[in-house]
Amino acid sequence: SPSLPSGGAGALAQWVLLELQGQVEPRQSGDLAGSLLGDLHYTCEGVPVLIVGHHILYGKVVQLEKPFAVLVKQAGASQPSPAGPHGHYTVTALIKTKLLFKTRPKPIITHVPKKV
Amino acid sequence: AAMRSRAEVDATLQTAKLNPAELLPAVHCLSFGPQAGGGECCLLQLEPGLCAELEAGRSLVIRGEKDEHAVLCSKDKTYDMKIADTSNMLLFVPGCKTPEELNADQASYNIIHSQIAGFSKNYWELRRCRPKLKKLRKLLMEDPYEGPDSQKDQTSTFSKYTTEDLLSLIQASEEEILHQLQVIDACKIEGYWRILDFDYEMKLLNHVTQLIDSESWPLSKVPLCACLEELGSLEPREMIEHILLSYGRKYVDDAGEVFFEMHEDKICRAIAQMLLQNAVKFNLSEFEEVWQQSVPEGMTTRLDQLQGLALVDKSSRPETIFLLKVEDLPEDNQERFNSLFGIREKWTEGDITPYIQDLCAEKQTVGALLTKYARSSMLNGVKVYNSRRPIS
Repeated sequence: SPSLPSGGAGALAQWVLLELQGQVEPRQSGDLAGSLLGDLHYTCEGVPVLIVGHHILYGKVVQLEKPFAVLVKQAGASQPSPAGPHGHYTVTALIKTKLLFKTRPKPIITHVPKKV
Repeated sequence: AAMRSRAEVDATLQTAKLNPAELLPAVHCLSFGPQAGGGECCLLQLEPGLCAELEAGRSLVIRGEKDEHAVLCSKDKTYDMKIADTSNMLLFVPGCKTPEELNADQASYNIIHSQIAGFSKNYWELRRCRPKLKKLRKLLMEDPYEGPDSQKDQTSTFSKYTTEDLLSLIQASEEEILHQLQVIDACKIEGYWRILDFDYEMKLLNHVTQLIDSESWPLSKVPLCACLEELGSLEPREMIEHILLSYGRKYVDDAGEVFFEMHEDKICRAIAQMLLQNAVKFNLSEFEEVWQQSVPEGMTTRLDQLQGLALVDKSSRPETIFLLKVEDLPEDNQERFNSLFGIREKWTEGDITPYIQDLCAEKQTVGALLTKYARSSMLNGVKVYNSRRPIS
């Protein structure tokens, strides 16, 4: 039966979750793969600041009460069905922290008209 | 896409009117990795304890055939899996550092190029559930073991199941499966798990009880060696030991000899089943008389030994008793209650409890189940439960 072995010797990798409102879409048509999302900064107080396109998003670091496991499907497995994720998966990483961006993005105004 | 440079990052900060002095020096430039859009990754929300198990190197298993809802099993627990939708986008980023990690690490990071491994709008949620063990009995009952003399085994085309087979077919954790095999008195014969055919089981039990009687052994001190010696010519030694283990508690005395303390209740119960399975129902008082006469010398029969096995009908004149085995009833909660209310319209709590006890989830009481699936009323001063819905 499909087992979820930890992917390789040693400790599991720790990843981070980014939670954003809305959809993520590529600027140009075509693959998302390889395209840039944005720059992630932290203030000196530890507040995450994400610059995506013409928006600034402020977020917060959240320690997850219930961590996530990231499952990666093995090659050649069947498609997940509504009944369940049948197939072969490996636990690749654990996620214990998320960066939650829930505040409305502030637009970056790039052109300010000059006062007359 | 070319990787962003420090100059480009600083230019963006300036356009955004952010003061670099108020920011930590390191920046993560996030881009989508090559596999990101492929849907190869998904998220599984972990219940308490599972994270520690994974970190300890133990694995989790998803079990279920195509027509079953998948469950997740740890070494000793079973969980239902359900998709939870969020309205947000969840991106998973390897190698992304938190502010604490950046501050703790004195090495000066400048730009960290992070590739987003994947993203999702949903994740799998887990909910602890009862292991789905009814199928275990069903599989083993396909071909009960009738003894070495049975012709059936040689010519049998039925599947026989090893531990590995059961692990892949039963939606339960390994520990739950192994425990249930013990509960149903299954035994391993030539590497396969088998349940004994009831008649063969009674034949073995009868050999033992007759020997106990003829040797006048106390029921609490039945010697294994003597049983094997006396009965070894009649039945395989493994079967003699198996029946002793099924109906007794094994222990070793100070001299190192193996004995069994026989379970009076379990023996009486088995003999009752043997009597009851031959007819639809019995006159209660007649049954009680025959039953007491049928059990070994020194044993006392009591109706409470038959909980979950037989039901007394106190409303009929004369009172009757009939076989009703809880393991023959549906496993699903609603289906179980439908089935029970189909057999009898109104139940007292005392009568119904043995037939719903096994449905209780961790920390759930029979009372809570009754509140959820039944409606109560008073009948002749006694509280009874009936179906919430009209029975067709």
